[in-house]
Amino acid sequence: MSDTALKITDVSVRYRLSREKPKTLQEYLIHRLKGKKTSYEDFWALKDVNLEVGKGETLGIIGSNGAGKSTLLKVVAGVLKPTKGNVSVSGKIAPLIELGAGFDMELTGSENIYLNASILGLSKREIDNKFQAIVDFSELGGFIYSPLKTYSSGMIARLGFSIATEVDPDILIIDEILAVGDEHFKKKSKERISRFREKGVTMLFVSHAMEDVSRLCNSVLWMDRGSPRMCGGPVAITTEYLKAMV
Amino acid sequence: MATYKSEAFDILRYKELLRNLVMRDIKVRYKRSVIGFLWVMLNPLLMMLILNMVFSEVFRVSTKNYTSYLLSGIILWNFFSHSTSTALPSLLVNSNLIKKIYLPKAIFPLSVVMSAVVNFVFSLVPLFFIFYLTDTHVGNRIIMLPLVVIIMGMFCFGVSLILSTLTVFFHDTIYIYEVGLLAWMYMTPVFFPESIVPERFRLIFHLNPMYYFISVFRGILYLDVPFFYEKLLYAFLCSLAALSAGWFFYGRYKDRVVYHL
Repeated sequence: MSDTALKITDVSVRYRLSREKPKTLQEYLIHRLKGKKTSYEDFWALKDVNLEVGKGETLGIIGSNGAGKSTLLKVVAGVLKPTKGNVSVSGKIAPLIELGAGFDMELTGSENIYLNASILGLSKREIDNKFQAIVDFSELGGFIYSPLKTYSSGMIARLGFSIATEVDPDILIIDEILAVGDEHFKKKSKERISRFREKGVTMLFVSHAMEDVSRLCNSVLWMDRGSPRMCGGPVAITTEYLKAMV
Repeated sequence: MATYKSEAFDILRYKELLRNLVMRDIKVRYKRSVIGFLWVMLNPLLMMLILNMVFSEVFRVSTKNYTSYLLSGIILWNFFSHSTSTALPSLLVNSNLIKKIYLPKAIFPLSVVMSAVVNFVFSLVPLFFIFYLTDTHVGNRIIMLPLVVIIMGMFCFGVSLILSTLTVFFHDTIYIYEVGLLAWMYMTPVFFPESIVPERFRLIFHLNPMYYFISVFRGILYLDVPFFYEKLLYAFLCSLAALSAGWFFYGRYKDRVVYHL
């Protein structure tokens, strides 16, 4: 147990789509009074997923759109509570799911660092300590004291990436965003991810870029229509996947 | 994932986020305009002036110091109505965050209520200024002010938890609450004295939690309120009830919220 970073047991996620679901409070009350039963359709975004990831491992997750990759990440990140099954995680999770979540355009870069980092669960003291490193990595310089609405989209992305990777997580979740910005920044980002691997950070990496996946991951999980279809070595699985896509 | 108790601890763990959300609300409000900062104080004053013009003749006989009565009522009512109305859509408004990162969701309505406390404190400035102008004497119960603010905050938070969770599932909650709030205001002695309420409506009146909050608030400020301590106790019980109901309701449905955002 001590060298498992993440263990998912029999996890299923069901979205219940009611056909005539009362969307307003009034309709709901009338429904209840009339004793009507709503008919519904179940959509299982994840079906009986079992997964174990060891510490320091990099797991790649591939699959076509709608296969359940993002849903799986949400379950791991604690965003979605599974309909069935259990998730056990050891350590702090940082999602690189859409950088700059919670950025407010009216606030300055520096204010947004505190806001964003606190969203990721850091305390004030931790943020104070990391502040300079975040600013340096983002290469924003004096712009850090300007409001975000004056930033270009590239600057915003760099700031987001910089904050998320400074968090120092035990488990890093990367959803299709490996590197942003120009060539120089992309290189820095890839170096940072490599350093995470060296530090023994566990990583979950969702991507459609097979070359990145086979290069970076220890093992790969192929999700298909909510269930794991195949799991194994990166080269083997990505090859199978590409074959099936033809 | 999180049980009732661990969610409470989570909110404590995320206190830096809470602080940032409240700061953000304050800063964004004041950055936009010079008057933003003053508006918090001007708004209730203006309301009071208008209502005073309309009603002071009618109520002057039954209320001494109608101006202070009115302003204190407006300020307290605003605290309740603004905080709950703003907290109502808070989960929807922050849906993009909630869908991506784990957060104790109650932090959003909580930050709204805390911002409202800050605004409430600022609005006490014109209140004491008016007291000075109208020669209204502040009693020594004023030291209970922090206590009353806390009890009021608990009540607002409880109500906000229910409203914000409900709104995720039923978007029309906002319209129903808008109307409900208006009716609620007419059932609370904000701008009229208690004495004008006819005998047959007194019971409904006394079932209204806001009636106790507003009486107690005026009681600690300047008014000699009969049965003050009983009313304070009722107010405290109402806020405990609201907080428990809110926490229970939120706890029961919070895990389903993401599925509907």
